[in-house]
Amino acid sequence: MEGRLANSWRLTVNDKNFIKTALLSEIRIDGRKPFEFRKISIKFGREDGSSEVQLGQTRVMGMVTAQLVQPYRDRPKEGILSIFTEFSPMADPSFEPGRPGELAVELGRIVDRGLRESRAVDTESLCILAGKFVWAIRIDLHILDNGGNLVDAANIAALAALLTFRRPECSLGGEDGQEVIVHPPEIREPLPLTVHHLPIAISFGFFSNESILVIDPTHNEEAVMGGRMTTTVNANGDICAIQKSGGEGVPRRVIMQCLQLATSKAASITKQIKDAVEVFNTERALRKIKRHPTSTGNDVREKQN
Amino acid sequence: MEVDREDGRSQNQLRPLACSRNILHRAHGSASWSQGDTKVLAAVYGPKAGTKKNENPEKACIEVIWKPKTGQIGKPEKEYEMILKRTLESVCILTVNPNTTTSIIVQVVNDDGALLPSAINAACMALVDAGIPMKHLAVAICCCVAKSGYVILDPTKLEEQKMKAFAYLVFPNSVHSVLPEGSLRVEGEPIENGIITSVTHVDDYFYCLERGRAASVKLSDFLRRNLQQQSTDSSKAG
Repeated sequence: MEGRLANSWRLTVNDKNFIKTALLSEIRIDGRKPFEFRKISIKFGREDGSSEVQLGQTRVMGMVTAQLVQPYRDRPKEGILSIFTEFSPMADPSFEPGRPGELAVELGRIVDRGLRESRAVDTESLCILAGKFVWAIRIDLHILDNGGNLVDAANIAALAALLTFRRPECSLGGEDGQEVIVHPPEIREPLPLTVHHLPIAISFGFFSNESILVIDPTHNEEAVMGGRMTTTVNANGDICAIQKSGGEGVPRRVIMQCLQLATSKAASITKQIKDAVEVFNTERALRKIKRHPTSTGNDVREKQN
Repeated sequence: MEVDREDGRSQNQLRPLACSRNILHRAHGSASWSQGDTKVLAAVYGPKAGTKKNENPEKACIEVIWKPKTGQIGKPEKEYEMILKRTLESVCILTVNPNTTTSIIVQVVNDDGALLPSAINAACMALVDAGIPMKHLAVAICCCVAKSGYVILDPTKLEEQKMKAFAYLVFPNSVHSVLPEGSLRVEGEPIENGIITSVTHVDDYFYCLERGRAASVKLSDFLRRNLQQQSTDSSKAG
């Protein structure tokens, strides 16, 4: 295990000084301006509820699955939403397999809070039989490549996966109406989830010299920055969550500035997510109509990609 | 005997293959392999200093981490890890970098049948992308035997469930002769470590082996073309 420490990646002093000095003239090492987001690309897999988001060099995969379970005792009429974050060792040489570390748990909490506290996903529509059967939605976030700002990318992946997920339709049956019959997708069309709004997480990095602020830090900037803050806002201007985890102190006016910036960015990101989901839904509908053998179907898909 | 497969393929036809290398930025080597709808992503980090406790320090060590699409890591994942590890250990030249560990991380993106052979192919391409010294490429293929006795290659998940037995076969890639005749010769024995069979008759197994070997020639051509194409692309910095 000591061998692993010897393999950990460290930024050199020269690199750190270069990043800090460049920021004094509002230049970032990848050529962006301080308040510019990296390019976001959202792709979907073959199945419903699987998304892959690329934010610059950061890559995150989201998978949504659902299961029928008993609800919690104190909430018999609500479905269950749970988020599992996997910091895969392929993302970064310092990520270890096994139990999630502090960063993974924090990321999971931020995404979870954004969705749950703001009631973005309607959990009451997931109830089939109060007190007995509800749908438990499980979101698995796999971090594939750590290029910095994992929270934002993971959040977008979770939202994209939730928007394209379809749960099987079920109805009550049996002698006393207490049994739940789950219909397979070939017989009855599966239903999408009810998502009221999209909470977008936007992260900021603070640097110690002259309170410099950047949006969407890369992993080089993350190694240099003095503090970070993640704000979750939606396109309507509602603040869903704020997380500032340690690091240096930040004055009030800077926090207000961050919130304003976040709200303006959230609108464009929400539009991007919705456009990508539209394209996927159209493709999905077309696939349902064409009943070609798989080999022809694949050609169609490759051309569209 | 003629067989009707659901997607219109013949008995010996493989699904469309797609492969891309160098897709991740932090990993030393990465590859994505898809056979039809089955898609697997593999990343390689290495060689790193030191070996684990029970491993031989005179040789390089290979560590495999299998990540399923969803759910906890259980016994099937550990089994896949062990099979992949043994297969890749027989393919890599372990004496070049002694006392080092190479980690291979396999992530299942979608499972539609023939998952383990796709993973072996993806891991092999990722190792090539990372520049880990290997004796030859590993070409993996899945053959199944149905209850009525016919053998099909590269099943989908639905087909797999109806089969009586399946064999995952790993072959070294075909050798192109350097001599002017330029004939293709398939050399060597299949690597025993990559074979898993369920209850099957010996004759069926040898039949599978023949079919698999023939198909592996096609697969290794595909691999070779893919590797040659990308190596002539402009090099990426960093």
